[in-house]
Amino acid sequence: MSIRLTIDDVEVKAEPGEYVLAVARREGFAIPSLCHHESVAPIGACRVCLVQVTFGGKTTLSTSCNMLAEEGLQVVTDTPEVRAHRAMNLELLLARAPGSARVREMARQYGVTRTRFPQVAESALANCILCELCMRVCSRLGHDALSAIGRGDKKRIGPPFGTPSERCVGCASCRSVCPTACVFVRDTATSRTIWGKTFEFVLCKNCGAPVLTREHRQHALAHAGLPEDYYDVCEPCKQADAAGRFANVVW
Amino acid sequence: MSVNPANRPTPPDASQTSSGDALRVLAGISGRVPAGAARTGSGGGMLTVIPRNCVGCRTCELTCSFVHSTHGRLARSRIKVREVGEKRFVQMTCLQCVEAACVAVCPVEALARNEATGAIEVHEGRCVGCSLCEKACPFGHMRFDPEAGLAVKCDLCKGEPMCARFCPNKALEVR
Ligand code: SF4
Ligand code: SF4
Ligand code: SF4
Ligand code: SF4
Repeated sequence: MSIRLTIDDVEVKAEPGEYVLAVARREGFAIPSLCHHESVAPIGACRVCLVQVTFGGKTTLSTSCNMLAEEGLQVVTDTPEVRAHRAMNLELLLARAPGSARVREMARQYGVTRTRFPQVAESALANCILCELCMRVCSRLGHDALSAIGRGDKKRIGPPFGTPSERCVGCASCRSVCPTACVFVRDTATSRTIWGKTFEFVLCKNCGAPVLTREHRQHALAHAGLPEDYYDVCEPCKQADAAGRFANVVW
Repeated sequence: MSVNPANRPTPPDASQTSSGDALRVLAGISGRVPAGAARTGSGGGMLTVIPRNCVGCRTCELTCSFVHSTHGRLARSRIKVREVGEKRFVQMTCLQCVEAACVAVCPVEALARNEATGAIEVHEGRCVGCSLCEKACPFGHMRFDPEAGLAVKCDLCKGEPMCARFCPNKALEVR
């Protein structure tokens, strides 16, 4: 049974268990966010998705990513107060991630170009906003190679105990989803280094180009059930080969 | 504006070389693509590749990279013209496989078929950028954009393939 709520005075429907941010985006309302990702549970870490909510006669501000849609809820996505709080949160985030183009651009849209807060001292992960998205995605993929280490000022995201993880497969999904692109990956012609661990690439049988790490291939074979030779050749070589077979048919 | 295959003249040799046939034979060779996979649009036509008509002008690549402007560089075009011999070209593009390796390998169900067009589409909000789909496609048709951290593939332009519309040589058609 559907729930009815309003977003910016428009009545919309939601299913029980749906979050306000997801409903709003589906219905075409724009709400900014940094740490939200549809494939993992929301935690409201970046606090940029704040909206005004009225429920049972009470009006407050709330993060929308992890707020469940409720019957009769009234959501307003943009008020001066909402903007002011988003701006403040972005100013804090700017102190943590001054090197992130995405954070800088989002802050600029809220009129924030400088931060009054002390910039976070050079850390193991410069520009990390501690949103744990990398960690949540890594767990979702079944690798569980990352965790939050330390508390408060000392909090860091990384492999548990700060030593290279046995469980990491070098897939670099953490880097793909990181909103500030601060996960450091170094690829060479034959190896990838990420979170302090170096992996060897499987090299294309035809041309020797890197395809994926051995551990990532192992994991994919165990979970996707595709033939082993699917990962032996790089994409351009596969395409050239398929084009050749296609051509033999045509001419 | 939609492509209306019925109103277009039949290109020379198309009856023998329509990729409908070619695709089917390719499927036979690889054993991996069931026949007639790529439907498109509500009319149910297929994006059809006619390599004999292709002169290698790469208009399709240019069109594709412009239409999908968020990843709009020629190198990121979803269709790729490959030279397979002296003045012989084959336009390589996703076959929208019925049993697709990319879909099978995706760990977060970010790839799914749009039943209206027949295209397998990337749901960007769900993609975690693991790049496995790019590695798994047996034809090398899947792309991974490392800057965006997202998979990129042919979506048949939501049912009206622009590569077919702009090909000046009737080497790509919806039929
Ligand atoms: S490394 Fe990136 S994804 Fe991970 S907690 Fe830091 S900012 Fe978030
Ligand atoms: S590279 Fe390692 S830490 Fe990052 S998502 Fe993959 S398994 Fe997890
Ligand atoms: S990307 Fe490859 S595996 Fe996926 S549908 Fe297209 S041709 Fe098939
Ligand atoms: S890159 Fe994205 S679409 Fe491709 S397999 Fe990984 S999560 Fe799925």
